[in-house]
Amino acid sequence: MNEFEWLRQMRELRQPMAPPERLWHAIDASLDDADRPASATPKTARRRLMAAALAASLLLAGGLAWRMHLPAVGDTPAPLAQADGAWKPDDPRLSGAAIELDAARMELQLAIQQSPDSPALQRLLDRTRQQQAQLRQLAHQAS
Amino acid sequence: MIAACPATGTPMSPAPAGANDTDDVRAAAAGDRQAFQRLYHLHVGRVHGAVYRLAGYDHARAEDLTQDAFIRAWQKLPGFRHESAFGTWLYRLAINVALMDIRARGADPVRTLDDEHLPETGETPFCAAEREELQLAIGQLPPRARAVLVLHDIEGWRHEDIGRELDIAVGTSKAQLHRARSLLRKALGETA
Repeated sequence: MNEFEWLRQMRELRQPMAPPERLWHAIDASLDDADRPASATPKTARRRLMAAALAASLLLAGGLAWRMHLPAVGDTPAPLAQADGAWKPDDPRLSGAAIELDAARMELQLAIQQSPDSPALQRLLDRTRQQQAQLRQLAHQAS
Repeated sequence: MIAACPATGTPMSPAPAGANDTDDVRAAAAGDRQAFQRLYHLHVGRVHGAVYRLAGYDHARAEDLTQDAFIRAWQKLPGFRHESAFGTWLYRLAINVALMDIRARGADPVRTLDDEHLPETGETPFCAAEREELQLAIGQLPPRARAVLVLHDIEGWRHEDIGRELDIAVGTSKAQLHRARSLLRKALGETA
């Protein structure tokens, strides 16, 4: 039997298999005892979040410093409604900050899903969105 | 041919490709047990099938491993980042649970055959073997060789991925596959 024929026959063994009905009940009962870090953001995730927020702030500060050297082109603000979408400015000097801020926003949104009542996380998210809006405004003015 | 042989166990339809389970995944991550039950029913066939094969077609052990996999999935769901489909994530998690079980059993394989103790009965060529006979033979392979054979030949994994998952070199994975195929052919009476 050649390799192709062997594999063809072996792959036919790859079938979904239904376990007995009682398995779900056993799993369901075990979930009560399953230790789940659901209500609080895990410490590692929180640390990552803080690091991302810090990095975003530093990048934004860099962007603002860079902005000081640009001539004022106009004061038309970028629409805030765009703040939640993935956005990459044409200017490579701003794109790093945009990526960091977007990553921080997504991390915060995930964390808020896990801890919807956390005012600290909500404040961080609001601040990140403000920073994204500021960055868009900078990019708009620069272009 | 194997394809014409009657199947054993309770095969079932796979989860629909691209099943839209995103809402249930989010709800289950937030603690919704009913959403998790829907995810279980959608994906358990694929998970249990793979685990059953890795467990050497041992029903009791496969049930334990499937249960363990879903409990771990429930625990890890809040950290699921939607970077892959939930079904893929769950499948990999379940495979990992089954492989950890094999590693944990280490050098104490249960009901395995080795090269010296292969049955010499039967002249049936592999292509005529019934599915049940084939499954029995796979189930009696040494656990690590069986894991490589199942992952490569049945599940369609690459040696690089198998090596990473089993923490072995690619060459070792290839050697284990060669050994597993030889043992299997011998067990089925084929003169390869």
